[in-house]
Amino acid sequence: MRVNPNPFPDILAALNQTRQDQETALLQLSSGRRVSQPSDDPAAAAVLIQNRDQSTFNARYLSSLDSLQGQFQTADSTINSVVLALQRAVTLGVEGANGTLSDQDRAAITGELQGIQDQLLSLSNTSFQGRYLFSGTVTATPPFVKDNTVASGVRYDGNNAINTVQIGDGYRIAANQPGSQLFIAPGHDMFQSMTDLIQAMQSNTGFSAAITSVRDSLDHLSGQRVFYGNAMNQGQSQSNYLGTAKLQLSRQENSLAGADIEAAASRLVNAQNSTNATLAALGRISQLSLFDYLK
Amino acid sequence: MSGLYGSLSTALSALFANQQALETSANNVANANTPGFSRQRPVFVPGDPVTVGSLSFGMGVVLEKIQSLRDPLLELRLDQQSQQQGKLDSTLGALQQIQVTFSGTDSGIGSAVTQFFDSLQQLSTDPSSLSLRQGVLTAAGNLATVFNTSSQNLLTQRANLDLNVTQTVDDINTLTAQIPTVNGQITNLENLKEDASAFIDKRTTLMRQLSGLVDVSVIQTEHGIALTTSNGTPLVSEATSFPLKTFVSTDGTEHILAEGKDITSSLSGGKLGGLIAVRDTTIPGLQSNLDQLAAGLATALNTAHRAGFDLNGNAGGDLFVSPPAGGVGAASALSVAIADPALLAASSDGTPGSNGNLIVLSAVHDQAVVAGQKPLDFYSRLVFQVGSDTANASADLTASSLILQQLEDQRASISGVSLDEEAANIVRYQTAYQAAARVVTTVNSLLDAAVNLGRY
Repeated sequence: MRVNPNPFPDILAALNQTRQDQETALLQLSSGRRVSQPSDDPAAAAVLIQNRDQSTFNARYLSSLDSLQGQFQTADSTINSVVLALQRAVTLGVEGANGTLSDQDRAAITGELQGIQDQLLSLSNTSFQGRYLFSGTVTATPPFVKDNTVASGVRYDGNNAINTVQIGDGYRIAANQPGSQLFIAPGHDMFQSMTDLIQAMQSNTGFSAAITSVRDSLDHLSGQRVFYGNAMNQGQSQSNYLGTAKLQLSRQENSLAGADIEAAASRLVNAQNSTNATLAALGRISQLSLFDYLK
Repeated sequence: MSGLYGSLSTALSALFANQQALETSANNVANANTPGFSRQRPVFVPGDPVTVGSLSFGMGVVLEKIQSLRDPLLELRLDQQSQQQGKLDSTLGALQQIQVTFSGTDSGIGSAVTQFFDSLQQLSTDPSSLSLRQGVLTAAGNLATVFNTSSQNLLTQRANLDLNVTQTVDDINTLTAQIPTVNGQITNLENLKEDASAFIDKRTTLMRQLSGLVDVSVIQTEHGIALTTSNGTPLVSEATSFPLKTFVSTDGTEHILAEGKDITSSLSGGKLGGLIAVRDTTIPGLQSNLDQLAAGLATALNTAHRAGFDLNGNAGGDLFVSPPAGGVGAASALSVAIADPALLAASSDGTPGSNGNLIVLSAVHDQAVVAGQKPLDFYSRLVFQVGSDTANASADLTASSLILQQLEDQRASISGVSLDEEAANIVRYQTAYQAAARVVTTVNSLLDAAVNLGRY
């Protein structure tokens, strides 16, 4: 059979192919990516969009946790201070109940108790990054305000709302505890019990009921404080989980879109070899013609 | 007639025939690199013999004809494959440009959707923060811009393809205008029983080029060939070409008129078929998908946004400018409706610290807001579609190129000029010519002897 006498178009097509292979391998080596446009691997390109979405959210959950942790720590240490102040008030109350004290001594204690009352007011209006921590969601204004028209002498301007923040897929935790629940829960109103104690000190009577009342508020607060401890623990374990998930996501992204460097390098070498071989063959073929031998 | 004069005329016939054969070889060598050229071969036949008594003498050689070597069926196959090749080539070129809009995991619509919902999450940790609120508005603005530019990119692609369509139609008309002339030349020569192969080669080349541009069917007629598009619209009758015309249709694209009839939708092959398919099917499909996604997202987010309260305690309005009814043009028109970060409705009860409505807004991420799918699911399917269309076109083009190459190889093995072969032939003709010349010399000396017979 007669063969194609002009092999050049075929050889050029082959050369074109090997050059393209070289280019693809080089691109993968230099970018480290196998999928740089959807047609490189349509399924991987589609999954990558979801993967990137998850990674972004994953990172967001971690940073949300960070900012919650700061808020929780501030709230926790505030409540710790409140607890200490109330303990001091109990101590002062027990001291005052001792019948041997003079009026003058009790007046001094009363002064200190009033100081504690002011301190409690200030602590319950603690803010974090410009937001009042114990006002429910009315975060722009101080939740606890001095008001002589109410029995305890302190009015609550906040609400009972609780914000939740997402820290995982389908996983939300409460970000705050309203002051109404912490400090002035019915039967455990610390401002009321302090007012009662100051009243007892001034009138030198009814100590035991007032002290019990302060102790109740104290116990209630210690119980509420567990919320923050738990929340911080939850946050920590979720942080650990998110760290693992992050690793998995980036591993998945790498296996989806990352270039196999060894394979790309060897493809590059192969393509270069075939280019060289083709060029060498081309040089040989072009030298051969019967005309050269006719003299 | 026989005798010495007979030998002389026999030798002369050999001289003529081999000289002409040598010319044929020279022409083959000259056209070794001419595209579409079919090699030619002299056909020698022995001259009619004369009978003298019981003896029959051959009367030299006759170069009966010069034959072109070509396979008409193979040429037809090549035309068909060129149509396929032309179509795939223009389709792939267009798709590769389109997929740029859908490339990139750090940019594009997918990333903008993610960033927007991420900004909502960020705001939920500090819902009254003006800077975080501004962050949400910025992310919403980016989302709108990415939809705008993606939609605009598709429109630009479409306009480019449109330009390409009119240019291709011009190219087709230039080619079809040449064919009737060549047809006429071929018919004239064939009527005179002369060799028309140079013109046949020319027509074959024109046909090949035309096949790359549009789907043509060939009808063999008594006087040459007639060409139609595959749906029967005439392009060339034997002696006349019918130029295609373009006009701007109501949809704003260039449509193609043949003899007053709009044949745009019936063109399926060649470069033109590919351009029209991408322009009229692929791009509008993608555009409509983007519109659906933009409208679905905007509507769902607006509904969620209206359920909440802004920083001033007022009920929320629309977050995005309400998409057009039916969604057509939603992607290019998408824009954020509010500029003041305080107007972002993050609160579910009117208090500034509440993040309740952000939860409602965030939930849109996982709602079936477009064609029963979540926004990102819908978008990633779109990316998959664009990617696999492009990858398929690329694979088809590679396969088609291989087939075309094989067909070209086959054609060249029949019609291509081999320099080795021509060199060998030249040697053969040269030797035969020299031998015939030798015969003339010999006859001459014999005649000389005969003339001088008896003079001594």
